[in-house]
Amino acid sequence: MKPDGQALKGHLDLLLLAALADGPRHGYAVKEALREGSGGRFDLPTGTIYPALRRIESAGLVTGTWSTVDGRRRRTYRLTAAGRRRLHADRDAWREFAMAITSIVERGPWPATT
Amino acid sequence: MAGHHLIDAYLAELARRLPTDVVDELADGLHETWRQHLEQGLAPTDAARAAIAEFGSAAQVSDAFVAQASGRTTARLLLATGPIVGAAWASTLLAARAWTWPVPAGVAGGMGVTLLGVVACLIAAATTRHGYGRTRLGHVAAVGVITLDVAMLVLVLLAAPLLVWPMAIAIPASLTRIAMALRRMPRTAVA
Repeated sequence: MKPDGQALKGHLDLLLLAALADGPRHGYAVKEALREGSGGRFDLPTGTIYPALRRIESAGLVTGTWSTVDGRRRRTYRLTAAGRRRLHADRDAWREFAMAITSIVERGPWPATT
Repeated sequence: MAGHHLIDAYLAELARRLPTDVVDELADGLHETWRQHLEQGLAPTDAARAAIAEFGSAAQVSDAFVAQASGRTTARLLLATGPIVGAAWASTLLAARAWTWPVPAGVAGGMGVTLLGVVACLIAAATTRHGYGRTRLGHVAAVGVITLDVAMLVLVLLAAPLLVWPMAIAIPASLTRIAMALRRMPRTAVA
């Protein structure tokens, strides 16, 4: 099952921060990390990744640096301390949310209420 | 690696809509995507078409940057909170009979003109959907808001003959807004 972009929109920041948790990546590498990390389920439109990275950079959650690769300018992002704190907080919140949903949708038959 | 004319044309279209830094970053990602498709065995032109399709049209990419631009978000935040701070200051000026303060007409007029300019910039930045350049007016307006707030605080400090209760709302509101506007100033050249 491939979730649509709208379903992922509310979780995009958490996904981007998680993709940068192991170290710096450039935009295309972030996209590929999300695609590979999700077993191909999260193949986000590339055009949405770059503005979102700029947005969370403006918010101080990541910082970008320029380098030159094959004669092209490359912007690589890494988590800031604030980004790392946000990742931990959002990850905990997500775990609680996911556990609550799972406990409801995977429980046994509901008791009759007549 | 040499480019492809379809990719060059696509980047030229993006360059008409977005700042150079953003286009440079997109160019790198687009070439990586193209290279990936070439490695998977696509012909150069098919690989270029596939890479561009993955990115979306130049208009879609540009609009996504506009929608998430920090200047636009800042403008929306300041527009939303402006009436509250404005009402607090209006109450203060009325209660303290500001027309009797020893303030030169030029200073009062300058602040009025600045306020109109700030509001115009905020509206332009907050409402744009396609123009990236307009989103930057949000940061220009934020500087104007800070200037006006500081001017009002100095004015009250130097010229107000008496304390009135709306100041208890207006002064903290302005200080909070100054802090918020400063925090939202761009940390990067392109924001």
